[in-house]
Amino acid sequence: MLPEFELLMPRTLPEALEMLAQRAPDVMPIAGGTNVIPDLRGGRYRPACLVNVASLPELRGIRQEDGFLVIGGSVTMAEVLEDPIVAQFAPVLQEAAKMLASPLVRNRATVAGNLANASPAADMAPPLLALDAEVELASRESIRRVPLKDFFVHVRQTVRQPQELVTAIRFPLPPPGSRARFFKVALRKADAIAVVNGTVRVDLTENGRCQAARIALGAVAPTPLRAYEAEHVLESQPLTPKDIAEAARLAGEATRTIDDIRGSAAYRRMVTEVMVRRTLGEIAYGEGEN
Amino acid sequence: MANFKVIGRPIRRFDALSKAVGATIYADDYKMPGMLHGKVLRSPYPSARIVRIDPRRARALPGVVCVLTAADIGYAKMVADIPGQTGQRERPQSETPVLAWDRVRYKGEAVALVAAETEEIAERALELIDVEYEPLPGVFDPLEAMKPGAPIVFEPDNIVARWRIRKGDIEAGFAAADLIIENTYRVPFVEHAYLEPEAGVAWVDERGVINIRVSTQVMEHFRTVARTLGIPQNRVRIQGAFAGGGFGGKEDITVEVFLALLALHTRRPVRLAYTREESILAHSKRHPFIMRYRIGVKRNGRITALQADLIADSGAYPYLSPYVSLYATVMATGPYRIDNVWVDTVAVATNNPFTSAFRGFGGPQPCFAYERQMDDIARALGMDPLEVRQINYLRTGDTTATGQVIQSAVLLEESARRALEALGERTPDHGPIQVGRGFASYFQSYGRLMWLHDTSQAWVGLELDGTVVIRCGAPDPGGGQLSSLCQIASEVLGVPLENVVAYTPDTALTPLAGTTTATRQLYMSGNAVLQAATSIRKTLLERASKYFEEDPDDLDLADGRVFIKRDPDRSMPLPDLVRICAAEGLPLAHLALFKAPFRDPIDPETGQGDVFPDFTFGAFAVEVAVDTETGQIEVLKSAACHDVGRAINPAAVIGQIQGGSHQGLGYALMENLIVENGEIRTPSLSEYLIPTSVDYPTTQVILLESGTGVGPFGAKGIGEPALTPVAPAVANAVVDAIGKPIRELPITPELVLRALGKR
Ligand SMILES: Cc1cc2nc3c(=O)[nH]c(=O)nc-3n(C[C@H](O)[C@H](O)[C@H](O)COP(=O)(O)OP(=O)(O)OC[C@H]3O[C@@H](n4cnc5c(N)ncnc54)[C@H](O)[C@@H]3O)c2cc1C
Repeated sequence: MLPEFELLMPRTLPEALEMLAQRAPDVMPIAGGTNVIPDLRGGRYRPACLVNVASLPELRGIRQEDGFLVIGGSVTMAEVLEDPIVAQFAPVLQEAAKMLASPLVRNRATVAGNLANASPAADMAPPLLALDAEVELASRESIRRVPLKDFFVHVRQTVRQPQELVTAIRFPLPPPGSRARFFKVALRKADAIAVVNGTVRVDLTENGRCQAARIALGAVAPTPLRAYEAEHVLESQPLTPKDIAEAARLAGEATRTIDDIRGSAAYRRMVTEVMVRRTLGEIAYGEGEN
Repeated sequence: MANFKVIGRPIRRFDALSKAVGATIYADDYKMPGMLHGKVLRSPYPSARIVRIDPRRARALPGVVCVLTAADIGYAKMVADIPGQTGQRERPQSETPVLAWDRVRYKGEAVALVAAETEEIAERALELIDVEYEPLPGVFDPLEAMKPGAPIVFEPDNIVARWRIRKGDIEAGFAAADLIIENTYRVPFVEHAYLEPEAGVAWVDERGVINIRVSTQVMEHFRTVARTLGIPQNRVRIQGAFAGGGFGGKEDITVEVFLALLALHTRRPVRLAYTREESILAHSKRHPFIMRYRIGVKRNGRITALQADLIADSGAYPYLSPYVSLYATVMATGPYRIDNVWVDTVAVATNNPFTSAFRGFGGPQPCFAYERQMDDIARALGMDPLEVRQINYLRTGDTTATGQVIQSAVLLEESARRALEALGERTPDHGPIQVGRGFASYFQSYGRLMWLHDTSQAWVGLELDGTVVIRCGAPDPGGGQLSSLCQIASEVLGVPLENVVAYTPDTALTPLAGTTTATRQLYMSGNAVLQAATSIRKTLLERASKYFEEDPDDLDLADGRVFIKRDPDRSMPLPDLVRICAAEGLPLAHLALFKAPFRDPIDPETGQGDVFPDFTFGAFAVEVAVDTETGQIEVLKSAACHDVGRAINPAAVIGQIQGGSHQGLGYALMENLIVENGEIRTPSLSEYLIPTSVDYPTTQVILLESGTGVGPFGAKGIGEPALTPVAPAVANAVVDAIGKPIRELPITPELVLRALGKR
């Protein structure tokens, strides 16, 4: 059953930050509530106070700014799916959002909430890691930007302080030759937590060389992670089947998986390798080539 | 009545719109003035001795009105025999404590009840009930539970039921075989996962009668409530509601006794509604089975002998396990003509969640085994899977393994052929994606065991304006049972369908019609309504024959008029005829009692005898794509073909079949209640996955209508049968795709990779 809590409804960002500063640490932001409400019911935590951030005007919208794409701190998955700027510059985010939960949940679930919740399986984490995203954290006193790769600390733990809000997620607009694909292996097609998810991004030069590579994986370690060694194999090379296979193998090795009810550690590792290989193949040779 | 006006038409059910727009009042929607909120304290251990229960701190909490432990209710027990109005037998060892006092036998067993002014207070009160447990060793595997020295769940041993079939000469049968195929199959616990968790409201009325408005499949539980509370049976009234699904999970008592106790002790209305998590913890599950099959076969494909050892995990209390295991025994051979049969079934007690009824009631588990076996036989003999089955299919007039003669049509061959044809062109393989096809045939009973002396009653009455009322105590958990009853009365009385009303069941107002289980309600209550309506029709036509000076046989009723068949213009509006009859005191209402055929129980040593009124036959075919690198399975196409006898409402029948198909696909590929050391590791719908609307494509449905069933207008039953052949068909398709055997459910990605030797 839902425990009792105080619900604060700030109208502006400064008001929200003030409330958080005063109530910290026994306070929690709530946006879509699609993690918070089930967790409260399940007794995972019992904050005295929730601060609703879903309707703060400063946290709304998706915009292009100084070569960055900026996703506001209250933007929902449904908004990501409909946004033309995202469609143009980062369609991989839409691939991920489309596979997250179900339409009902996507209408409420926010990108910031997905990251701040810090589930190892969060579907938006791998694509945003691959896009070199940073998280904008604001408190009454200050604003700081943390690269997403440094944001996650452990399962359900981030560098965010209790008085801080995620006000935006931003990443540099990928260069024209950049291609990224999301993959998700789950036990069901909708409303299912990933067994493994990930994003592979390759920035290709005009002559087909790989300028930069990003391989980000979820549900294979306590936090979403980057497979740096696998990325290195690909960089400044043309994408050959041999390099792809080697990168995939190293991606599998980068996992620090555990057994749970959704899958065994061995399965996760194996499927990571398969999916990274396939996704790289799709990027290099087109859809359906394995 | 060859040309039906209403029967056989795909009508929109009268309950459809209100459900779609959320207007239907379910049991949990009922509010009463001064209503209290109930909660149940449950055991955190699968096996423990209760050292002490102290409810004093909970009782002292302001807002708590009542805390009940076993000591407060006279250590009451429930007799959990087959629920229903007839044939109820006492089986003392199956008595289940309403509230545990000395021992708990499964995690989630009820230990105390609370009623409080608010749900929050009731919840807090649970935390204040001090219970001291001493954990005991438990037994969590039926094979372990049968070994000497295993912890005993309840005395004298862990054997809950045993059944046998001995037909022909099993040794001679195997000696005559050219080939013997022997394998062991395993199927898991499955959760019903109906939309609506268990819920109800109870109060004591001004007569002192306990009223319970509840989501149930069995109105007759008022008897169990009365016996448990030690009060007369006419002092308990159950008011039904449309149930948000049941699938067998609301066949046993759920909240009824708890509600009655709290209402009686507080003298105030009490509501009790389980959360999803509590529902998963508190109600029955589908039985896991371990099934060892040996089938002997001639080189020409003829089966000479079948031996099956079936072991069912009954969980901590018997509930319906003795009967589910009996069904499994009777259906263990599949729909095949086999002269030499030897089946041994045992239901075993463990400290796992208790198991009981679930759509198919012991039919789907052996179907998985025997239909996998049939494909293995075909492969071993180099024959086509359909050809091997054709050689062995039962035919009308053949006897089953228990010696029962099949009277109705047996369209096994046609259903298998039609289902396979419906798959169309085969999808090609693509890289690591391997495509496979499979099908399964089955037979499944409808109607209850014939020694339960099953009956149903229905009251049909004509109002003075020519409209019709049906009073029939048939719960409708979503199958459209009540809507079909309306169609039957509409057809027989020639009254437009919209002029027929059927009330939801209420033991005070609707005649008892028996359980909505065993795929019996259309068969039993459909026949009862048919009888009642036919009796009124006779009255009407006899009176009209005097008026028209015509023989009653030359008259007919349709579209709200009575008319002369050969001269339909000579007619009279039905209300006029009704008024004439009423003025003369002729009976315009009729209470009918429909009786299933009654037989003596089967011989316990040989299993020989008639068991069921009839069987439904059909097939399911499916095409799957298996990703041999990730193990993931995609259902590409599926088709179901069943002989439903007569489709009263084809729209509802197709809905039942598509629903059964998807539930079966979930059973095959996804659903897996993981239980470790008595603990459910998939405690909510986040971990326990059931298919969503996007997981599998819609199943094509092909209806065969032999008109030979024992239901109204020759209908057979389809509710449970729709699920039975699905899982084995999928398994056969996966085996076809990967060329490796599958002998376990669900067929998860990891299971596929194991079968491929990749793990
Ligand atoms: C049925 C269902 C299916 C789901 N399926 C998926 C799935 O497939 N994939 C997936 O990744 N997730 C899934 N989820 C989880 C959830 O929907 C997502 O993680 C979602 O993005 C969370 O966003 P929210 O706005 O609802 O967060 P909330 O629940 O409101 O908050 C989540 C966490 O983030 C914090 N928070 C929220 N906003 C901010 C902010 N602006 N600044 C700082 N902290 C903040 C909260 O304090 C809390 O700790 C599912 C959930 C449900 C209920």
